[in-house]
Amino acid sequence: MSKAGDWRNYKRVLLPPVKDLHKLDVYEANDGYSALREILTTDKWNPTSVTDEVKKSGLKGRGGAGFPTGLKWSFMPPVDPDVPRYLCCNGDESEPGTFKDRQLLEYNPHSVFEGMLIASYAMSIKTGFLYIRGEFADWITHMEAELEKAYEKGYVGKNIMGSDFSCDIVIHKGAGAYICGEESSLMNSLEGKRAYPRIKPPFPAQKGVWGYPTTINNVETPACAPLIIRNGGDWYAGIGAEAHPGPVLYGISGHVNRPGVYEYPTGMLITDLVNEVAGGMRGGKKLKAIVPGGSSTPVLRADMIDGVTMDADSLREAGSMMGTSGMLIMDEDTDMVSFLRRITHFYHHESCGQCTPCREGTGWLENILTRIDEGEGNLRDLDLLMDLCSQMEGRTVCALADAAAWPVRYTIDRFRDEFEAKCKPSLVASGVDLATA
Amino acid sequence: MPTITIDNQTFEFEGQQGLLQFCLDNGVDLPHFCYHPAMSAPANCRQCLVEVGMPQRDRATGEVNTDDEGNPVIQFMPKLQTSCSMQMSDGMVVKTHRSSELVKRAQKDTLEFLLINHPLDCPICDQAGHCPLQNQAYKHGPEGSRFEFEKVHKPKHIDLGPRVVLDGERCINCTRCVRFTREVSNSDQLTIIERGVKNYPMTPPGVDFDEPYSMNVIDICPVGALTSKEHRFKARIWEMSKTASISTVGAKGSNCYYWVKDNQIMKVTPRTNMDVNEFWLADEERLAYSTFNENRPEGPTVEGAPVSWEMAWKAAADCLKGVEGSRILFLGSAWATVEDNYLLAKMADALGAPAPVYLPHVEKGHGDGWLQTDDRAPNAQGCERLGIHATSPEAIKARLEAGEVDVLYVMEDDPVASGVCSASDMSGIKVVLHHYNTTNQTLEAADVAIPAATAVETVGTFVNVDGHAQRLRPAKAIAGVNRTLSMEIGKCRADRHGTPFDKWYNESNLVNCQPGWVALPAVAAEIGLEMNYKGPKQIMEEVSSSNPAFSGATYSAMGELGVRLESTGVTA
Repeated sequence: MSKAGDWRNYKRVLLPPVKDLHKLDVYEANDGYSALREILTTDKWNPTSVTDEVKKSGLKGRGGAGFPTGLKWSFMPPVDPDVPRYLCCNGDESEPGTFKDRQLLEYNPHSVFEGMLIASYAMSIKTGFLYIRGEFADWITHMEAELEKAYEKGYVGKNIMGSDFSCDIVIHKGAGAYICGEESSLMNSLEGKRAYPRIKPPFPAQKGVWGYPTTINNVETPACAPLIIRNGGDWYAGIGAEAHPGPVLYGISGHVNRPGVYEYPTGMLITDLVNEVAGGMRGGKKLKAIVPGGSSTPVLRADMIDGVTMDADSLREAGSMMGTSGMLIMDEDTDMVSFLRRITHFYHHESCGQCTPCREGTGWLENILTRIDEGEGNLRDLDLLMDLCSQMEGRTVCALADAAAWPVRYTIDRFRDEFEAKCKPSLVASGVDLATA
Repeated sequence: MPTITIDNQTFEFEGQQGLLQFCLDNGVDLPHFCYHPAMSAPANCRQCLVEVGMPQRDRATGEVNTDDEGNPVIQFMPKLQTSCSMQMSDGMVVKTHRSSELVKRAQKDTLEFLLINHPLDCPICDQAGHCPLQNQAYKHGPEGSRFEFEKVHKPKHIDLGPRVVLDGERCINCTRCVRFTREVSNSDQLTIIERGVKNYPMTPPGVDFDEPYSMNVIDICPVGALTSKEHRFKARIWEMSKTASISTVGAKGSNCYYWVKDNQIMKVTPRTNMDVNEFWLADEERLAYSTFNENRPEGPTVEGAPVSWEMAWKAAADCLKGVEGSRILFLGSAWATVEDNYLLAKMADALGAPAPVYLPHVEKGHGDGWLQTDDRAPNAQGCERLGIHATSPEAIKARLEAGEVDVLYVMEDDPVASGVCSASDMSGIKVVLHHYNTTNQTLEAADVAIPAATAVETVGTFVNVDGHAQRLRPAKAIAGVNRTLSMEIGKCRADRHGTPFDKWYNESNLVNCQPGWVALPAVAAEIGLEMNYKGPKQIMEEVSSSNPAFSGATYSAMGELGVRLESTGVTA
């Protein structure tokens, strides 16, 4: 059952169909910065009530882990005027299959700025960093120009809209490493250090950027904040799946007729997204597999998605995760070994090399999968792959090792016969009687 | 007091402590690579993983839940934890590889990973034999490898700087070297470059790894990735004996090990002493090793001609006999031990000569507030405390030129090189010289030249710049038999020393020289003075009991780590 209600008549709010919405005057004409104005100029709002409203909305982080946003904001320690505190907005989107932040940064950058300002107000933060993937150079240029306009209008900077709330936004460009999207790595990168993830605890709210309290959100998360303030937490909580509400940007790629980024409520049936939203399978082929939330989430076979909706609970039951809702759709012609080999190559290439299991394990996984893909693998390689996954999972500073191991574990688990078919036949499988041979 | 249970054994502890260090301090050996007590714990090697559990508490009351038998219920963390970065807390329960199959497996797995791209060139690696990776792979690692692919290739034999060579393939990316330059020496000359499995440490573009403490990274490197340009391929670790002693470069008296092969010092490495040098050694202290091997004299000479030791004692005594005490200048030395300087002062006193003086070897601006000091000699403090005070080359020169000196008795120093005067200017006076090297410029003027045992061949005491009295131990033997030295060497050397009847006895490179506490009594005896000591130990007992500035500085009290003497207010 779809939990998205009447999704066919859903009105887009994150990426509304407004021409030139990225321009400040167009954004203003469409209620832009009204939520911020309401917060700063009416007595109804104070930092606590803003946080409470976000808690009420049930908004969960859109960066992959799905942590409740209001709760995360409330983890910040009490304000100490002598201790700076920071907001980091994570736009270092680089996982294969995930491309929804780019759309937001290109078409609705001011919603991100406004959201960051609201989050900063809620947590009494004076500086927000917007960390954007370096490959998004074109959008960074255009966002910097838009940010400049917002500064000129007094929406960002000192005494915003005449209030005593001041907040700066700094756009920081990454330099091309997937690991910088890991929150503690992002902080090191922001500080100008090598982007090695940090050990937790201490968590960012205790010791973040330059050792000061920091909150890190995906860019899509604060972009929801103006909507929540304007329309109320209850309105937001009423969209989509009850336990995981809100509008969400689905990045659909692969063997469908209309790949792209689509905004719909959470809780959409996967079948609806594939067959209706994305226009069905390309060339009338049969669906074979789906990766629901970016390359690190476990793959689902076509027979596993009946009635599965895009929200944390339903996907967990089905044996996968919501992740970043970047969906990879594969048809019946897809070679799963080759698919997995490519995914593993990515993690091998992007492992930062700090922790032993990930540094050495990711390369080894790719080596073995390359061998199997080229028809030189042995059946025992499959067990070795599973073993290596166990040796990597949960044994590193950050979750990249897990992200690298899960696709291997679940793809082999769910498509084992395909892997076995590509391996060299073993003596037993080829019918040789070992006792007499 | 808070308690922690490790492998079913309960320990008490105080304050904030890291789990790994606590385990190591309490005899619970845990394999590890990246952790070093002097630096932050990045927890990147993942070798020290353990199971950690805490008493389960009732959410409402905060009370510890107990089972049917009244024991606290322990809730283990879902993932293995790195003990290096884990802070201990009361009631914590830890399972290491001794009691947990999971931990055992994790240690094995990590070692398997570490070894897949490691070249395993142990047979030609300088680190083999004292390599943490090798040791731990044997102890905790898998029996073989399941890796059947070509290893990753990285740059090899790269000169990071003038003294340190990198083999990128051997590197296991523990980042100890990088953290050393960042947190200990603050030079920031190293960083990790590349990404993932291609990572290795390197200097930033245009930067040479030439800081004065660069060679410390060689010791802390847990594999053979960083080697010494001076020492690499010279000796295997098991071919050398090591002796705990102290460095004689500068006045810090850094604790060190001297490594000896075939009676030659092969290298110097730091020895931990938290009161002096902590874990470190300056490069200059390491590079001084060759002075103990090169340009060494071959027995005593009189007027440049080789003579027997008995002849040398007689000749030296002849120089002193019949000369009025006030016309003899005894020159002590900040290079010589407290014992030797003490005997010299005693001899001067017996002959009615003024108290000895010494030439300071101070190089202003050389000190860095850490291990390098302005004073380039090791024992100026000891001299001052003996009442042997610093003089200047000019003052000595003035006395020589005024014709006030008939005999110049030089104890292990080089007045010509120090700028007193040229050797030819000393032609009118008798010179007796105890010297270490044939490069000593005063040799030319010496009537009697007595080769002296260096700091690595003798037993004695140095007092460092902070008033820390520490013992020297003989790292290598000298030619001839000396029972006191033999016994000291026997105590501190694992092998390579014995009687000529032992099969490992090796006569090569033995230097024909004598320690001051042999030479001075021998000369004194020829003049008819009594200086009867069983050895330096007895001399030091006399010094420490008669001179309050050395109170408590007996050999047994000094042990391996020395004793801090009370401040005398005198600075050398």
